[in-house]
Amino acid sequence: MTASRSKDRNPATTATPLGVGPRDLAFLLVVGLSAWLIPGAGHLVLREKARAIIIFVAIALTFTIGLYIGSIGVVNPVEGKLAYAAQIMNSPMVTVLGRVTVNNHYSVFGKPNEMGQIYTSIAGLLNLLCIVNAVYMAHLQKAQPTGA
Amino acid sequence: MHLITALTIATFTTPEKIGVTPLATLWLLPLAASIAVVYKATKVKKVTAANFFKESVVLFVSIVVFMIITALVLFSLTWIVT
Repeated sequence: MTASRSKDRNPATTATPLGVGPRDLAFLLVVGLSAWLIPGAGHLVLREKARAIIIFVAIALTFTIGLYIGSIGVVNPVEGKLAYAAQIMNSPMVTVLGRVTVNNHYSVFGKPNEMGQIYTSIAGLLNLLCIVNAVYMAHLQKAQPTGA
Repeated sequence: MHLITALTIATFTTPEKIGVTPLATLWLLPLAASIAVVYKATKVKKVTAANFFKESVVLFVSIVVFMIITALVLFSLTWIVT
C-alpha cells in the first residue's frame, strides 16, 4: 500500500495517455531515436553492447551491399517512393543520399536496381524491427527496475 | 589516396552487372544471412557466441530450405500446367 502510494507520487510514473511517466516516455523516445539515427545505438543505450554491434554490422553491411549492387541510384525518393519509405528506416541520413541521387540524376534500371532496392529496403525494415525491439526492451527495463 | 577515394566512389555510383541467370539467385544468400542474424539478435535472451551462432545458422538454413521447397513446388506446378 505504502509502496503503491509512493509510486503514484513519483513523477516518472505519473499517468500519461500511454500509461508511462513523462521521464520514462522521454527515455523511450531517446532509445527509439538513437536506434533510428544509428542502427544498434538504441541497444547500446540499454547497455546491450553485443547486440548493438551485431545489429550495426549486419544492417550497415546489408545496406552497403545494396548500394554496391545497384549504386546510390537505388535510393530514389522520386522514382522509387515505396522502396524509399523502407530505406529511410535505416537512418535519417538516407535522405542525404536521396537528394544526391535526385540532383545528380543517378539512374539505375533492371536487375541491379531491383536487387539494390531489395537489399536496402530490407536493411531498413530490419532496422525498424530493431527500433521496436530496443523500445520494448527499454520499456521492460523501466517496468522491472530492480532487475528481479 | 585520391585514386582509392575515386575508386570507392566509382564503385557506389556504377551499378554491377547482374544477368537474369540461375546464378543470380545466389544473391539471396547474403540477404537471408543478414535477416537471420538481425532477427536472432533481437530474439536471443542472452547473446553468447556459441548460442547466437547456432541459432542464426538454424534460421538461415530454415529460410534457404523453405525457399528451395517453394521453388521446387512452383517449378512442378509450371511443369504440370505447361
